[in-house]
Amino acid sequence: MASLEIQNVHKSFGSTKIIRDISLSVPDGAFVVLVGPSGCGKSTLLRMIAGLEDISGGTISIGERVINEVEPKHRDIAMVFQNYALYPHMTVAENMAFSLRLARRPRSEVNERVENAARILGLSDYLDRYPKQLSGGQRQRVAMGRAIVRDPQVFLFDEPLSNLDAKLRVQMRAELMELHDRLKTTMIYVTHDQVEAMTMADIIVVMRDGVVEQIGDPLTLYDRPNNVFVASFIGSPAMNMVKGTVKGQAVQTAGGTDWPVSAAAARVAAGREVIFGFRPEHLVLTEPGQGIEAKIRLFEPTGSETFIAAMVGDQPIGVLLRQRLHARVGDTIWLGLDPAQAHIFDVQTNQRIVAT
Amino acid sequence: MTTQIASQLSSGQLRRKRMALNLFIDAILIVFGLLMVLPLILLVANAFKTPAEMLSWPPSIIPENPTLENIEAVLSDTPLMLWIFNSFAFAILSALAISITSAIAGYLLAKFPSPIMSILFAIILATAIVPFEVYMIPLYFQAQSLGILNSLWGLLLGYLVMSFGIFLIRQNVVHSIPDELLEAARIDGAGEIWIFIRVVLPLLRGALGALFVLAFFQAWTAFAWPLIVATTKPSYTIEVGLALFQTGFTVDLGRLSAASAIVLVPSVTLFVLLRRNFVEGVASSGLKE
Repeated sequence: MASLEIQNVHKSFGSTKIIRDISLSVPDGAFVVLVGPSGCGKSTLLRMIAGLEDISGGTISIGERVINEVEPKHRDIAMVFQNYALYPHMTVAENMAFSLRLARRPRSEVNERVENAARILGLSDYLDRYPKQLSGGQRQRVAMGRAIVRDPQVFLFDEPLSNLDAKLRVQMRAELMELHDRLKTTMIYVTHDQVEAMTMADIIVVMRDGVVEQIGDPLTLYDRPNNVFVASFIGSPAMNMVKGTVKGQAVQTAGGTDWPVSAAAARVAAGREVIFGFRPEHLVLTEPGQGIEAKIRLFEPTGSETFIAAMVGDQPIGVLLRQRLHARVGDTIWLGLDPAQAHIFDVQTNQRIVAT
Repeated sequence: MTTQIASQLSSGQLRRKRMALNLFIDAILIVFGLLMVLPLILLVANAFKTPAEMLSWPPSIIPENPTLENIEAVLSDTPLMLWIFNSFAFAILSALAISITSAIAGYLLAKFPSPIMSILFAIILATAIVPFEVYMIPLYFQAQSLGILNSLWGLLLGYLVMSFGIFLIRQNVVHSIPDELLEAARIDGAGEIWIFIRVVLPLLRGALGALFVLAFFQAWTAFAWPLIVATTKPSYTIEVGLALFQTGFTVDLGRLSAASAIVLVPSVTLFVLLRRNFVEGVASSGLKE
């Protein structure tokens, strides 16, 4: 187990900058998720930690040791790939034992560690099978087993659940979290799925275009996103964003709708043009004639909750209700919003306006 | 109910139609197969015929007075077994060399891309369009200056590397070995040579098997190069040796047939053993040399 320190790291391919000056401190034993849209550089950063990509500048350290120039095999890391990367011509046991055999560990120790990992992952009955004889979830477990037997200082996961179906993904997510609880090893996990990030991470690192947009625990990112990008990326369905001007205790849109803001926010941003953000699940139904009028455009009951795509004036918004609603497309509903749960961002910089 | 029965009827008709089509295809294939195998059958039959019967018309498939004279004569008058051995040694060593060079070069070209590698690959592909006859003579002088004329090494000189083989392996590596597999091995602590031997080669088994068979038959059936590089009787390959039966003015058909029939035995045996690889090689390359 060890901490991981990334300082002012950047990476370019020719003149294209993939990673721009990223610094990140991962405490010992933390589960850190790098999340962002495709092409944001999260996988590249992970591969730089693994030693599969050169570092153009800055330093990466594991524990006290700077590993910029250290070969991947000497970094004391283990990596799980999206496509599992199992050796097709070796059995499950041989796959898991590969690194230990290379390190010329005694046979008894190899067997013990492989059996131990297989027991943790429920693979004991499959040790003699070949990867092609396993299901997707089992293959993913073998890939994790191969990482576990090495007892590394840091685990690296590169979108490990992306190739699994939705149900299996939820199950494997839970297994991964249990694994982390059991091993307490530092884990760095890359995904583009913000739900995975929210459910698994101790710390989430939101990236875009090679830059870190925000680092924080899941609820901080959800409650206090630093900017419009993080606000819209974290949370599902995505946060509603409305442009308007702060007038009195409200943000007034071009269409003339008044969205309520807190007294503190109204004071700080008085008269400014802002982006007003609020989450679909923070909207509530009110009595007809009170609050904000909206027209239902799309109606999606899922049983436990109801998602409504609605129009407020000419502004499309999403509404997520925990209650059942008997309504039809074209009906009018009235919405209320707790101003404390709304966010305001500067229209130019897209940064959060902090209400003190 | 009626529509159900109707659909059952039509499905029965469909099945009969399909069966008829299959029978038709089978019949055509059988005719073509017979046409192709007939010369070989006649060749083997001729080996056991007397000179008179050989020239009779129509030719008989089963000899009337089978004789072993031709075979005895060939085996006693010519070093046929030595030639077969020469061909075997030449073909196996050539196939081995081509498999090894193609595996190494194909893997490097596929997995270590760089501008220089791209140029090298283009050059290797370009050599495939140069006919062997064009560089046969310079190669001969090279063999001469190396002092390896009339030897196995001389024969091998032109058959150590096969640009098509390099291409075949490169394509196979690109399509069947993901980068992640090599990266996983690197993280697991494997060195590059270890990765090549323990991860890459086992995964290329199918392609290398196919290439080995192609290369083997390429050398086994080679004629032009062995003809010019092997000029003494004991150094001939079987292909060159067989050509000797056609002297300037006559063809000794009986002996030629007998020798050819003997030569067929090892190649047919080998083909039966490696049939799967051979088909795979021809299927994946789309051509047979």
